Amino acid sequence: MVTEEEIQKVAKLMKIEVTDHKEYVDKVHAMINYFDILDSAGVEDEEITTQEISISNLRNDEHIPFNERLIEKLNHYKGTYVRAPKMS
Amino acid sequence: MNLKISALEYVQEVQNGNISAEDFVSATLDRIKSVDDKLHAFLSVNDAAINQAKEIDKKIKLGDKVGICFGMPISIKDNICIKNNATTCASKMLENFVAPYDATVISKLKQEDAIFIGKANMDEFAMGLTTEFSAYGPSKNPWNTEYIPGGSSGGSAVSVSAFECVASLGSDTGGSVRNPASFCGSVGYKPTYGLISRFGLISYANSIEQIGPLTRTVKDTAFLLNLITGLDPNDSTTVDNHNEDYLSGIETGIEGKKIGIIKEMMADGTDPAVMSATKDAISKLESLGATCEEVFLDMVKYSVAAYYTITATEAGSNLARYDNLRYGYDFPVEGYEFNSYIEKARKKFGPEVTRRIILGGFVPSAGQAGKYFLKALKVKNKLTKEIDEAFKKYDLLIAPTVPILPFKIGEKIDDPVALFLVDINTVTANLTGKPAISVPFAVSNGLPIGIQLLANSMNDKILLQAAYALEQTVKLPEVPL
Repeated sequence: MVTEEEIQKVAKLMKIEVTDHKEYVDKVHAMINYFDILDSAGVEDEEITTQEISISNLRNDEHIPFNERLIEKLNHYKGTYVRAPKMS
Repeated sequence: MNLKISALEYVQEVQNGNISAEDFVSATLDRIKSVDDKLHAFLSVNDAAINQAKEIDKKIKLGDKVGICFGMPISIKDNICIKNNATTCASKMLENFVAPYDATVISKLKQEDAIFIGKANMDEFAMGLTTEFSAYGPSKNPWNTEYIPGGSSGGSAVSVSAFECVASLGSDTGGSVRNPASFCGSVGYKPTYGLISRFGLISYANSIEQIGPLTRTVKDTAFLLNLITGLDPNDSTTVDNHNEDYLSGIETGIEGKKIGIIKEMMADGTDPAVMSATKDAISKLESLGATCEEVFLDMVKYSVAAYYTITATEAGSNLARYDNLRYGYDFPVEGYEFNSYIEKARKKFGPEVTRRIILGGFVPSAGQAGKYFLKALKVKNKLTKEIDEAFKKYDLLIAPTVPILPFKIGEKIDDPVALFLVDINTVTANLTGKPAISVPFAVSNGLPIGIQLLANSMNDKILLQAAYALEQTVKLPEVPL
């Protein structure tokens, strides 16, 4: 059983401000509790396989200039830099 | 102007000179104007569509080369990038975002002279199955506007069903094309994973999502697949289909085919009307020469939990980029400390997206990953083994697309687990990478029911042949709008 404190801690780590308890904590709680059904799946001995893609199948790593000044499409920029708030 | 024609009929009519692209597009825009206030299928409409249609008519008149779409008006789910068009993902977070490039599917359709009539409404960032989680308000089911149209590609399905376009592109992460297709009475297709490039599809859960068409007929789906499938150097997960022609041989039929009926997808909670329609579909397939028998996929009952665990994890990662610095809405940075700015900016996410981001931080975190995320990956693996085993014996699998009928707007919005379970029959195809299609098959209490067929990976052509055969056995009433 997951606790409210754990949910609130994760929300903070994900940079999500949780203010409405019912809307977020209670519903996330219900969702995670539902996931407990995975405990009865009996897959402990199952392996996790991944699909590998050979490097030869990837496109060449080459610089293709974009024909527009992408930086101008940003909300906050100065010269060629993204503008961000100050780090504390 | 008859707007109720299929994509192939449209091509034929324009080619034969019976209609012009301009007249058809103009009538389509009039239709949108007259019904979309009620349905809300579109988030934006292409004001330049008539001029684009005029250009195509001009090319036809001059005998210039014209793409096979001949100005066909297609709606595009608002998570697929069209250059210089707003692409909001139905989120306030991206309300000002204008895509600087075309998705590969868009480039391919532009080459064939398709006209993008508008961007279709959806659940925010494709997280949902009712379109109620759009930040711009829900779409309504054209069969009964008090009911949800399904989702997340709800706007796409509504626009096809209500004759606001000829066809649409949506995206399917756990049923997001097939579910609204079933609820709105259109054909919805989730291809083999990798068949269609995801380049330019704003990511939610990369490992399982796919772009897919929603159309009026199975043949139209095959027609669109011919245009948008194939290898793409910009998406390393695409697979080579050797330019397969999905239309040729579509009328082959299903005589001699073996079909497995997925027992776990016809469980106790299935609506009686849906159950009856599925049994009827099975009988019709048998009468066409197929052999149908029950098949068991034990892992289906864990598939929804595995699906939401995996997709939340990928969403948590994918949506970390929305800090409102590189793209987003108008919110000045002055006066804020970095972390408090990001937290404040991310409050623009809607409630469902916020919940899934929190989930996406929790289930793969240290101390929890073994219980949730890794176990979900193991379920995915075992489910894939089970379905691969089934396809050694059967050519196709069948189940209802959704076990219940469309429900009223607002009916389940406060119960996330009840909403999860609506996905029980669709997530298997996504978790295992198999192609699946929803074919409109019946109407109960004025609401459509879709039947789902699945095939083995890269057997998309066989799947379309079976879907076409099933489609020919029924004639549904027209949408009462």
